[in-house]
Amino acid sequence: MNRDHDAYETLASVYALGALDGDDLAEFEAHLARGCERCAATLSASEETIARLAAEGPRRTPPPEVRRALLQRLEATAPRRERAAGRSLWLPWMLGMAAAVIAAIWVTGGFIAARYEARLDRMTREAAEARERLRQEQDGLRAELQRYAGVIELLRDPATRVVTLRGAGAAPEAGARLVWNETRGGQLFVTNLPPAPEGKAYELWTITGGRPRAAGVFQTDASGKGTHAVEAAPGGKPVEVFAVTVEPAAGASSPTGPIVLASAK
Amino acid sequence: MDPGADLIRRMAAGDRQAFAPFYDRFAPLVYPLVLRIVRDRQDAADVLQDVFWEVWQGAHTYDPARGSPEAWIVMRARSRAIDRVRAVRRRSETFVAPLDDSVAQAPAGGGADAASLAADRETALARLPEPQREVIELAYAAGLTQTEIAERLKQPLGTVKSRIRLGLERLREAFGGAP
Repeated sequence: MNRDHDAYETLASVYALGALDGDDLAEFEAHLARGCERCAATLSASEETIARLAAEGPRRTPPPEVRRALLQRLEATAPRRERAAGRSLWLPWMLGMAAAVIAAIWVTGGFIAARYEARLDRMTREAAEARERLRQEQDGLRAELQRYAGVIELLRDPATRVVTLRGAGAAPEAGARLVWNETRGGQLFVTNLPPAPEGKAYELWTITGGRPRAAGVFQTDASGKGTHAVEAAPGGKPVEVFAVTVEPAAGASSPTGPIVLASAK
Repeated sequence: MDPGADLIRRMAAGDRQAFAPFYDRFAPLVYPLVLRIVRDRQDAADVLQDVFWEVWQGAHTYDPARGSPEAWIVMRARSRAIDRVRAVRRRSETFVAPLDDSVAQAPAGGGADAASLAADRETALARLPEPQREVIELAYAAGLTQTEIAERLKQPLGTVKSRIRLGLERLREAFGGAP
């Protein structure tokens, strides 16, 4: 046992010099790993001897690049707040960055302004157009509302009647209703009457005692619909027949064109 | 406290200011060992950088009860240098181990080492009996393994091991036991 251990102490010396190899190396490391204090002590003593051997040898300053490289490596891993020396580099760098950012904002700002001013112009113009369109629509709706209100008002009057007009001639499909009050006038609602030809309009006639009297011109839209407010006939005589003819757009004082709508007598 | 041990303790605590003094104190001691083993200035510089970087990162593993700072850094440096030279040897497979005389006469670094090696002859190593000096120098200065030494000297492996042990014990006595 002692002799075996003596062998290990020999290995410890060789191991300290880094000269152990092969099975001896594996065996000694295993032995040491098992916690042999004697071998650890021998190894330690051998290491101190080798250090003394080194100490009595020559001293030589290594190439300065090694020191420089190590200190740079050390600096590179230092936490930022510890880099007091590096801080002097941070300020100019940050100022440079700030200047670059400001310049970029200024240039970009100008670019965006130029771009968006044109867009804003266009949007303002479009908004004005939309507003005008809305105003017109609103006016149209208000007029329509007044018309309906007027019709409802008329319908409350027991004297008011609803006259049906039927298509005739070139517009057999056409039809119309006239809410009519002899003293207050009325409202004509036309359906399925195609728009009048270019330069022409539809003209309503009130016929009393066989004499037609012009009661205003109107147009129909693409869907064949149209409305027309009709004034009461002067004199208060009851209208016998309502008829619509095609006339010049400005209207005529007496019917000249073909009848397209007419009420039954 | 030993100044070297104090520097290691400070490095273990993360004190970066301790690194440069530690390097300045130990690099000139360690560099000739590394250079003699790897026998190439660039390799030696690389090994030295690796060793000191490992020391910075592994400073907390140093135990003053187990040994001196000198032994700690010298063992690490020798170990790294030997690793390097053996890796090179494995790659080339054309290694011609220097004889002890050739180590003395043609050291890496040329002329600068000549005087220091002459000085070596008045050292404890130089005063060892020839058989012990020979094996220790081949291991210590050239980084050969026991088997390589045995082959080179045409001696039994057991003889080489015994001579190494005896040589180290003599040196230890020469240095006065404790470091």
